[in-house]
Amino acid sequence: MIDRVPVVKMCNIKKNFGGVQALKGVDLVLHHNEILGLVGDNAAGKSTLMKILSGAYIPDEGEIFIEGKKINMASSRDAHHYGIEMLYQDLALANNLDVVANVFMGREKMNFKIGDIGILDEHYMERETERLLDRLKIDLASVRLKVESLSGGQRQAIAIARATAFNARVTIMDEPTAALSVAAIKKVLDLVKELKKQGNSIIIISHRIEDIYQVSDRMIVLRQGRKVCDTRVTGDIDTFREHVVAYIIGARDDYA
Amino acid sequence: MLKKEVKRIMPLINNPEETALIKSANKILQENIREWGMYIALLVIIIIFTITTKGVFLSSRNISNLINQTGYIAVLAIGMTLVIIISHIDLSVGYLSGFLGAVAATAMEFWHWSAPLSIALIFALGILAGFLTGFLVGQMKIPAFVATLAGWLGYRGALQLVTMHRGTIVITNNFFNAIGNGYIPDLSFIPDVGFLRGIHKLTFLLGILVIIFYILSEINRRNRMLYHNFKVSPIHLFIVKLVLMSALIGVITWILSGYRGLSWTAVTVIVVVLFYHFIMNRTNLGRHIYAVGGNPEAAQLTGISVKRITYTVFCSMGILAALSGILYASRFKSATTTAGTLFELDAVAAAFVGGASPSGGIGKISGSIVGAFVMMSLTSGMNLMGIDISYQYVVRALVLVAAVVFDVATRNKKEEIT
Repeated sequence: MIDRVPVVKMCNIKKNFGGVQALKGVDLVLHHNEILGLVGDNAAGKSTLMKILSGAYIPDEGEIFIEGKKINMASSRDAHHYGIEMLYQDLALANNLDVVANVFMGREKMNFKIGDIGILDEHYMERETERLLDRLKIDLASVRLKVESLSGGQRQAIAIARATAFNARVTIMDEPTAALSVAAIKKVLDLVKELKKQGNSIIIISHRIEDIYQVSDRMIVLRQGRKVCDTRVTGDIDTFREHVVAYIIGARDDYA
Repeated sequence: MLKKEVKRIMPLINNPEETALIKSANKILQENIREWGMYIALLVIIIIFTITTKGVFLSSRNISNLINQTGYIAVLAIGMTLVIIISHIDLSVGYLSGFLGAVAATAMEFWHWSAPLSIALIFALGILAGFLTGFLVGQMKIPAFVATLAGWLGYRGALQLVTMHRGTIVITNNFFNAIGNGYIPDLSFIPDVGFLRGIHKLTFLLGILVIIFYILSEINRRNRMLYHNFKVSPIHLFIVKLVLMSALIGVITWILSGYRGLSWTAVTVIVVVLFYHFIMNRTNLGRHIYAVGGNPEAAQLTGISVKRITYTVFCSMGILAALSGILYASRFKSATTTAGTLFELDAVAAAFVGGASPSGGIGKISGSIVGAFVMMSLTSGMNLMGIDISYQYVVRALVLVAAVVFDVATRNKKEEIT
């Protein structure tokens, strides 16, 4: 894994908002088929860093390499182009539409087109959605259910399924387990493991160390805009949490 | 006493087939209460007015008139439904329709343009007006309420400017006037015998075709729902629904063929309804409009341009305002200084009665058409009864409030269940 070119490499990323230095030169590497946990206190810079990777923000300084190639990203459309999908906490779905419509939102398959407007190929989209949910072991009574009638966990699963549906190279998940019940969290984490099994590379932002401990291969801790820890996930949960929390709150600060 | 009652009811409960039927009927009614409520309301209104007017309300002549009256509100209501789906509102369309009608009249009467050319002109102006609103709302991010209030003022002024010197402009163009007053031609080769005597045959034939088409499409829909493991109503209830709806279409067909047949206004409305129904349910454009209404941020993140959708929806509203202006001016064979007054509010009311949600994302073309008929039936029926206009407003207010309260109540209940 180490000898291959990493799927994402971010070098010395800096970003200022007015006078505030949100990121003070952060490096990040994501390998192929790896799940990377990104943790830190509020305002540590996690979301800013991920928004830069997904094209929502433009960094003041620093370089981004995808598969070893240096790229410039100016918008989230550029990020889509490079196969980077970001999953936002609760912005993801339209509750008034059904599962199929949500999965294919913005990239509907059409039968017949005049210019940009075309007739929806519902049959194809239905089958593909069913296949996708099957593959990810997401259980639903029907793909024609409206999203508003689904539980929080199911909605998150649909959002994740959509982000990974179109051959994403990297999927970024922003707090995928926030505001979910214990049972739903387990389902989402199972889904993340399933995605890894199928070869996806994923970055997860979370406050809940327990959650990402279960699924992550590696964890990065940000504190006040700097990377203070980059460690493999090993050992039992209690010692590991103690180790990481020390960095999060700043009790330890020995990252070279 | 209680025991007696229980004894009386017990056999009913113990009959498993019957209870299952009642249960499933209840359930279906609960699940579709919003949609059914609308049709039931329309039915109740029709029955009440038929009784209070001793049958005049349901006469061929009145129903035919009612449809022609509803036409110019119905097309506005369709456009307004799209606007409401993307969580906006358009207050300017009433006077816009009046103004465009007056422009068409001026073009025909004073510039001696042909009717098709005049119609093309105001369609172009309607698109331009929609583009302007779209620019203010989509581009400049001005709340639609404010932007279209400005339009309301502006088009009102424009209407008065156009009609200033002459007051009412009488339209003499026969082709143009036929749109609001004419009826489709009849099939003269079918002999006038038996029950067909005095009946408009083409209308009758079209009615039968619609019934056949309706039954086939319902069966098709049911099969699709079965395929997707959706719970469908039991077969006998399904047949009851088919029979009732077919009977309703049949009655309307019979009433219309008894007078002068299908009017050109009705044809126009039907074409617009079918077109918009198709766009909203079968194309990616319709899907994107619903997506923008349901969650604009999510839509934008998936690559749908909210701005473009906003422009499109307001331009469609502009075109329909022009159409409404044509129907109205043609119906009265003139353009008046007050044409279009309060049309926008009738259209908004029709959309809300038809189940559109003020918070966006929800609304159906079919619903808004039924809503338009509910509102116009009230007006027509109360006019026939000779009820004072002031009471009429109050009654319409109550119906609007009742519809929205009913909507909110049934929707909240749904949320509790899940």
